Amino acid sequence: MMDEKTRDDLLKLFESKLNEAMRLYLETCTRCGVCTEACHVHASMGQVKYIAAYRAEIVRRLYKKYFKGRGKIWPSVGEARELSAMALDELYEAAYSCTGCRRCMVYCPFGIDTQMLMSIAKLLLVGAEMEPEILTLLADTSIEKGKSIDLFKESFMQGLKRLEDEVVSKWKLEAGETAIPVDVEGADLLYVALAGAHSIIPAAAIFNAAKENWTLSFFEAVNFGAFVGDPTKTKLILDRIVSEAKRLKVKEVCICECGTAYRVMKQLTGKQPFKVSSITEVHARYIREGRIKLDKTMVDGAVTYHDPCQIARNAGVIDEPRYILQHLTDDYRELTDEPRYNWCCGGGGGLVAMGEDTLDFRMKSASVKVDQVNATGATILATACENCHAQLSNLNDHYKMGVDVRFLSSMIADALIQS
Amino acid sequence: MSDDIKVDKVFDLKGLPCPMPVVKVSKGIKEVEIGQVIEAQSTDPGSLTDFPAWARTSGNEILKTEQDDDVIKFYIKRNA
Repeated sequence: MMDEKTRDDLLKLFESKLNEAMRLYLETCTRCGVCTEACHVHASMGQVKYIAAYRAEIVRRLYKKYFKGRGKIWPSVGEARELSAMALDELYEAAYSCTGCRRCMVYCPFGIDTQMLMSIAKLLLVGAEMEPEILTLLADTSIEKGKSIDLFKESFMQGLKRLEDEVVSKWKLEAGETAIPVDVEGADLLYVALAGAHSIIPAAAIFNAAKENWTLSFFEAVNFGAFVGDPTKTKLILDRIVSEAKRLKVKEVCICECGTAYRVMKQLTGKQPFKVSSITEVHARYIREGRIKLDKTMVDGAVTYHDPCQIARNAGVIDEPRYILQHLTDDYRELTDEPRYNWCCGGGGGLVAMGEDTLDFRMKSASVKVDQVNATGATILATACENCHAQLSNLNDHYKMGVDVRFLSSMIADALIQS
Repeated sequence: MSDDIKVDKVFDLKGLPCPMPVVKVSKGIKEVEIGQVIEAQSTDPGSLTDFPAWARTSGNEILKTEQDDDVIKFYIKRNA
């Protein structure tokens, strides 16, 4: 049973999301059904609750009840729905079975953005303290790191020393050069990686090969505030990187292979004195400018590329990975004729970060992705997102696909030609 | 294993993708009693900032951090 104060507080959160675009999404669905087959979850599992329009309807009924005149006066007409504990359970089911891939949006004749509607659901769940606990803990950890980074800087830099030999093994440095520069004021480019060595070593080798004037961020790129749908935490996590970029006076912030990190940094930071690039864009630029050269013989086997939804469909980086792959292989095979309609890997929206709790669902809900990859006959499945890489690796194991799941940056680093 | 700390459970987190080391430690520490100690083994340099920040957030305590050539070891006491 939900008390009045809780309901009022949650409705204030709902109202805070009601900008013009959101109202349009809430008022224009004609239930035409075009989105039915657009969702990988529905296409793989075939239940009505996974149709995009159905997910949206759960939010829309609350909107009709509390923010439309007819719903307030005559709630039995138009399927208005009371905000109750049961409604919150439905919101959870809808929001955390949606990866926010926006494939449904490109099919919708009105461009209704289900991911945005699910952001209302996620915010209400945060307000009711019903969100996945682990996502909030991860977001809070990121924020805490921003507050207390001075305490951890030295040990982090010491930890990076352990990686230097591996960086140099991929690209030999000249005397006086630093393998992994950190905290360099006046660097041109700030690279924001993830915690793992695999996110730092290949990138460092490529920056060094391209003679980039770069520096590594103290912070991880991923934004768990965005995954959990908490705008305040999303901004606090972003602000750490923005402050660091401004302090170091860099011209460009380059986000590692992490789809959400890139989209959020690119689209939510507003006007800044630096530009935001994905590492895939930067790598394509290095090849185009002749700053790095690649040896195609280092890639053995047919290659296909999974476009991460947050980098391709939702942020427009589509041509760059293909340009890079032209320089890595003569046997490249597309997953789909139109990359904007690519199937999601099934791991976005925080599902991979929720770990084994979501593993069974992630495997069942992404069988269409497996079929799509298998149809290419490729033996190497490249991608440019940590989330996608983790999910595709899980799918590879679960469905015994027999492909080698690779990060694009790792393939580039292994193919660098040192003249 | 550290000579001066009694470890109750060891977690091998080497090579896991982001954010699994923190996810697994968050869940894993609940497998020991309050006051007991886990050893978390990582190869990620980012864990040197992630784990202390996680400990401050979750109310647990990092007793000691050791780095050798291959592995970073965190000795974490469950306080919460």
